[in-house]
Amino acid sequence: MFRLFPFLLLLSVQALADERTFWRQVREGVEGYSAVVGVETNKLIQASGTQWLYIRNELIAGTGAWVLALTVFALACFYLVRGKVRLSEPRSGEMIERWNKKERWLHFYTATLFIILAITGLSLLFGRSLIIDWLGHEVFASFAEFAKIIHNYTGPLFSVGLALMGLIWFEDNKFSQIDWLWFKQLGGFIGNKHPSAGRMNGGEKAWFWLLMTAGFLVTVTGLNLDFPNLEQYRLVMQISHIIHSVAALLLIVGALAHIYIGTIGTEGALEGMISGKVDKTWAKQHHDLWLKALEKKSSADNDGQQNTESISQKKAEIPLKK
Amino acid sequence: MARMKFICDDDRCIECNACITACKNEHEVPWGVNRRRVVTLNDGQAGETSISVACMHCSDAPCAQVCPVDCFYTTSDGVVLHDKDLCIGCGYCFYACPFGAPQFPQDGAFGNRGKMDKCTFCAGGPEEDFSEAEFEKYGRNRLAEGKLPICAEMCSTKALLAGDGDVIAKLFSQRAIQRQLNQEEPNNSAASPKLWGWKTAYKD
Amino acid sequence: MKLIKRSTSVENKSENTLDRRTFLKHSSLAAGGAALSSQLPFTLMEKAEATEQSEQASTDIKTIRSVCTHCSVGCGVIAEVENGVWVGQEPAFDHPFNLGAHCAKGAAVREHGHGDRRLKYPMKRIDGKWKRIDWQQAIDEIGDKILEIRQQSGPDSVYWLGSSKHNNEQSYLFRKFAAFWGSNNIDHQARICHSTTVAGVANTWGYGAMTNSFNDIHNSKAILIIGGNPAEAHPVSMQHIFKAKEQGAPLIVIDPRFTRTAAHATQHIRLRPGTDVPLIWGMLWHIFENGWEDKNFIQQRVYGMDTIRKEVAEWTPDKVEQVTGVPEAEVFQAAKTMATHRPGTFIWCMGGTQHTIGNNNTRAYCIFQLALGNMGVAGGGTNIFRGHDNVQGATDLGPNAHTLPAYYGLTEAAWKHWARVWDIDYNWLSKRFDPALYDDGAGGKKRTMNMSGIPVSRWIDGVLEKPELIAQKDNIRAMVFWGHAPNSQTRSPEMKQAMEKLDLLVVIDPYPSNSAVLHDRPDNTYLLPACTQFETYGSLTSSNRSLQWRDQVIEPLFESRPDHQILYQFAEKLGFAEPMFKHIRVEDSTPSIEDITREFNRGAWTIGYTGQSVERIKKHQQNWHTFNTTTLKAEGGPCDGEYFGLPWPCWGTPEQKHPGTPLLYDTSKPVAEGGLTFRARFGIERDGVSLLAEGSYSKGSEIKQGYPEFSADLLKQLGWWDDLTTSEKQLADGKNWKTDLSGGIQRVAIKHGCAPFGNAKARCIVWQFPDPIPIHREPLYSNRRDMVKAFPTYKDRKSFYRLPTRYASIQKIDYSKDYPLTMTSGRLVEYEGGGEETRSNPWLAELQQHMFVEIHPADANNAGVKHGEQVWVEGPEGGRIQVMAFITERVSRGLVFMPFHFAGHYQGQSLADKYPEGTVPYVLGESCNTVFTYGYDSVTAMQETKVSLCRLRKA
Repeated sequence: MFRLFPFLLLLSVQALADERTFWRQVREGVEGYSAVVGVETNKLIQASGTQWLYIRNELIAGTGAWVLALTVFALACFYLVRGKVRLSEPRSGEMIERWNKKERWLHFYTATLFIILAITGLSLLFGRSLIIDWLGHEVFASFAEFAKIIHNYTGPLFSVGLALMGLIWFEDNKFSQIDWLWFKQLGGFIGNKHPSAGRMNGGEKAWFWLLMTAGFLVTVTGLNLDFPNLEQYRLVMQISHIIHSVAALLLIVGALAHIYIGTIGTEGALEGMISGKVDKTWAKQHHDLWLKALEKKSSADNDGQQNTESISQKKAEIPLKK
Repeated sequence: MARMKFICDDDRCIECNACITACKNEHEVPWGVNRRRVVTLNDGQAGETSISVACMHCSDAPCAQVCPVDCFYTTSDGVVLHDKDLCIGCGYCFYACPFGAPQFPQDGAFGNRGKMDKCTFCAGGPEEDFSEAEFEKYGRNRLAEGKLPICAEMCSTKALLAGDGDVIAKLFSQRAIQRQLNQEEPNNSAASPKLWGWKTAYKD
Repeated sequence: MKLIKRSTSVENKSENTLDRRTFLKHSSLAAGGAALSSQLPFTLMEKAEATEQSEQASTDIKTIRSVCTHCSVGCGVIAEVENGVWVGQEPAFDHPFNLGAHCAKGAAVREHGHGDRRLKYPMKRIDGKWKRIDWQQAIDEIGDKILEIRQQSGPDSVYWLGSSKHNNEQSYLFRKFAAFWGSNNIDHQARICHSTTVAGVANTWGYGAMTNSFNDIHNSKAILIIGGNPAEAHPVSMQHIFKAKEQGAPLIVIDPRFTRTAAHATQHIRLRPGTDVPLIWGMLWHIFENGWEDKNFIQQRVYGMDTIRKEVAEWTPDKVEQVTGVPEAEVFQAAKTMATHRPGTFIWCMGGTQHTIGNNNTRAYCIFQLALGNMGVAGGGTNIFRGHDNVQGATDLGPNAHTLPAYYGLTEAAWKHWARVWDIDYNWLSKRFDPALYDDGAGGKKRTMNMSGIPVSRWIDGVLEKPELIAQKDNIRAMVFWGHAPNSQTRSPEMKQAMEKLDLLVVIDPYPSNSAVLHDRPDNTYLLPACTQFETYGSLTSSNRSLQWRDQVIEPLFESRPDHQILYQFAEKLGFAEPMFKHIRVEDSTPSIEDITREFNRGAWTIGYTGQSVERIKKHQQNWHTFNTTTLKAEGGPCDGEYFGLPWPCWGTPEQKHPGTPLLYDTSKPVAEGGLTFRARFGIERDGVSLLAEGSYSKGSEIKQGYPEFSADLLKQLGWWDDLTTSEKQLADGKNWKTDLSGGIQRVAIKHGCAPFGNAKARCIVWQFPDPIPIHREPLYSNRRDMVKAFPTYKDRKSFYRLPTRYASIQKIDYSKDYPLTMTSGRLVEYEGGGEETRSNPWLAELQQHMFVEIHPADANNAGVKHGEQVWVEGPEGGRIQVMAFITERVSRGLVFMPFHFAGHYQGQSLADKYPEGTVPYVLGESCNTVFTYGYDSVTAMQETKVSLCRLRKA
């Protein structure tokens, strides 16, 4: 791994009073003087480069690939074994608004960007191994360049989506005792129990918080990587890149599960996000507390003229206050 | 098979920066891109040491390993080159390179760095030898002309050596041994065998 | 698992291997030319397009030999030119001086072929704005104004400020031009770089030049560098220094600053700036104390060493330490090293020369070498590294206020000699000068024709001083800056004033230079574009006295013209072209360079610029690969036995085929083969003591004793008169070796193994100088008041180089409280001189983008400044500059250092908008000389830029 450059430097070595100290300092990236203006031009060698290379190429790319592959495999197996989680009762035909227009827009805005970023990002990480032989160097390079540009420009837009999500769904995603039960019952995916849940069940909350934390890291490191013109030290960029990659991979794993559950994994989930409305049966099965609170609230406010959009938010608070 | 290498004799390097301007001159390298630079350590103090550094044309180059589009290749002379048509300007090679060799021509906001540029050991690039495209993208191809890198050829004190690794290593070791023999007190610790100093330095 | 593929190793995408080393010139250069054309400035597009069109037709590339135009090492340059475009620069591996090497500047000279920041056409300032004019208008307007000033104030009111950047022919022509104009108010950079060396050294043993050569350092057993930083100022010379060092020669560097050179030294001594004489005496103290001096050498070849011995005896180690700050052990070690490693070479530069006692310093250095017997031997000598590329040649032949070409002086005899060479009537020449008599500063009265002109260091005073106090008719009213950077001179605030007071300011230069922007002149200011030396051709003299021929690389860029053409045009306008160019062919208003060379060959006998004919110099250039890189002697080939560049003195006529003198005063060789004795320049006896050599003579000399300089009379006395041919006799009768235009006297002397200039002792006492033996005097601005008391400077002088000159009246004021820091200046490797040319070269400018001041961490903490912050440097005369703080231990506590190459900012203001459009250099900065102060050497009026005082304030 490290065999490449010592040989070259060895010949430009000078014996100093204490050479060992001198060369240790050089390898530690001691700063000197250089007439050349630029980032760290005054460092002779940066030892962290090869470490970063190892982490990226061996650990992140290696492990990351396994993790992604296993995730897909696990979801596939799960689907084969468990199949789609169907509604346990027939649809009532009564539709309840679950996601208002803004929420749906925000969801799909962020989701689209996420997918774009994931695909472009993964292309840079795995493209060389997976597609380059298939596409050829030239085509892949064109694609990769396009991917890089898209990734760099859409990244900040995705972060805006994330931030807005954090703002509007923060209240809905505070953890409570119920979530513990939800997790204990494995969210109802295994077995036939339907654990209680408010507007957001434990799984959704977990996903929300993963998005928020990993998303925050991805955002900060991504912005850092996106603006090398700020002349950050290479170490900063290397650390940023490592955090960015790990966090992004976690998000992708989470997103795979989220997409699975939201599409083929659960009957009625996707239509809720598309139309904004869910069948009452679905609501009862997956978000019983939310439905109860909604009904309670609804009867209490029955006289008043309501704005549907504001209702859903106010209602949503109720189960959480229990 | 020759493996082209650079060696900088820091007993002789005086940070005159000729290697930098010779390179700029030869390849018409734009302002802000420096394929070579000189680093002075312990500047202004006893033990001050200047070393000229550029792409060291590593045997197993980190830049090549990390490049997402696999745009690097090693010529049969052992020169590490890259294909600017493939390069996407991601900057990974700059993060990986121990020597800070990769350079980027643009300011870099939103990662727009332009195509990476680095020392070619004066060996051009993948374009046809001596073609206009080769000159525009990579500079002159001196190696194909039977010449060696201009930085080393023009070095003011012949501190920077370039060429077949075996040949220049021999040249350098002869120089170092000669230097050693000519010391008044060869066993004086201040004049300890300089050539072999690296062994201790790199004993990890 | 490895998901990332290994790098595709050893692909044969490009088979640039050994078997494909056929140089495909055609395609390679087509590419180069086309790429270049896209970067050429607008005005060159026509030429560039022509290049592209003709690529198919003619792609043959011309390889042209030239010499770097930066420093005086004289590195060979190989330029590749295709259809008039300079497309490539190759290392000149065969060149004996540089062996292919270059420094940052030399490796970037091809940028001269781009020249996009050049002054492109003649310009005139109208109402404070630059306006383009044509050449004829410029010459006419300037000429008329100059003639008007001559009418009103006499010829001495126009100052011709020449350049070390001119080639030998142009320098010589420039001096001749001033002579025909009728004034000695002419000078050039040598005044402010090595004038004290030339004066000190020439007055010690005869010639004021580097005695050996860069290559000869290979033979040195020890190297001592004082006040020099060749690693930055003459980087290629380090190649030769390292060669000696690696053969075991210790390298001692004496410098107040830890320079890049000091970094490679075996011993670095930090002395207090300006205390060179005490340090040298301190070393000599140990040498005498231990009996290490070369007694035989001293007895045979040195006059006055006993007096030195007495003086040195007073410089006991403790006193030396007190004055110089160098502990006894260090002084002893250096002295011992030099004594036990002989021959050792002694190198100095501006650190020694730029002092009020610069001439004392240089003489002390010489005496040191004399004491050790290091003179006239390979590996020894005083190797004085000159500054600009042709500063040696310009000093020898060109614009000097104190002498005609070849150091003939300004006496009537000198004028008559040159009048004879020029084939003009002496009386006519004499009438060109002011007929009045003025105070010559030595108690007599002289005409300005026979009196030194105002030196470049003092032109400001020539403008600003009260006219009745100047030893000439009126103030200087017109300045012609012909290749001179004014920011290399001290006292910018006063210079600005002086520039504004002038009636006429003319700048003739490839770049506008600081002269174009420092002042706020609304009009009567002209900029005329001159060529660089790559756009013309001619000879130059490198530091080691070798002459080299430069071939023309490219045609003049834009509307620029070569200096000799501009000189001709002015001579024509001013009405003396006909007599001046009597023996110089002129075509298209351009004088023939070769004819000018031949003319100085006919007249410059004193320093042997007579044997180097155009043909011989060109032959050396074409055969530079045949010369040995240590001895510089050609081994076989057409120049067999000759030394590279025929280093002067190259005695006699070209036909006599003298090989040149590689080492001055080397008695181990016959004079005919480059041997020499010390020159008998100072008479034959002094106070009853003989000044001639005793028992020392050059190999093969028929006179085995000292002898005076040769003259017709001496030949007759010796019975050698009849060795002259009849035609020689005619010219030689009544003449001496310096004035015999036939060269016969020199020929006969050499035939008998004798040096034409005699065989004398070098002298340690220069009785004509203010300090006959070198003594220490504190700088004018010193913060060591105790030292000022013990070693005071000179008394003020009423007329020195025509001007009242202050010494004691400045030194007596105590500035040490307000300005506690000592300030010194020096070079950067990327820039040269005033820096306008190099700061306009992007390849160089990128590497030094900010003017800075080096400050010791302790002083920085006291001033509250951090690295990279802006700081005000303020001098005791009121100048202040805002620069970047560079905190470093390169300087010792109490000392600050600044490079002198910057200009274009003035006291915190950028002058960028005052440049003509498109000529602003890439990098501008404050000139350190805005802060540097008054102070002039007591012999040559060299400015004191190596030591002054300042204080720092956070900006």
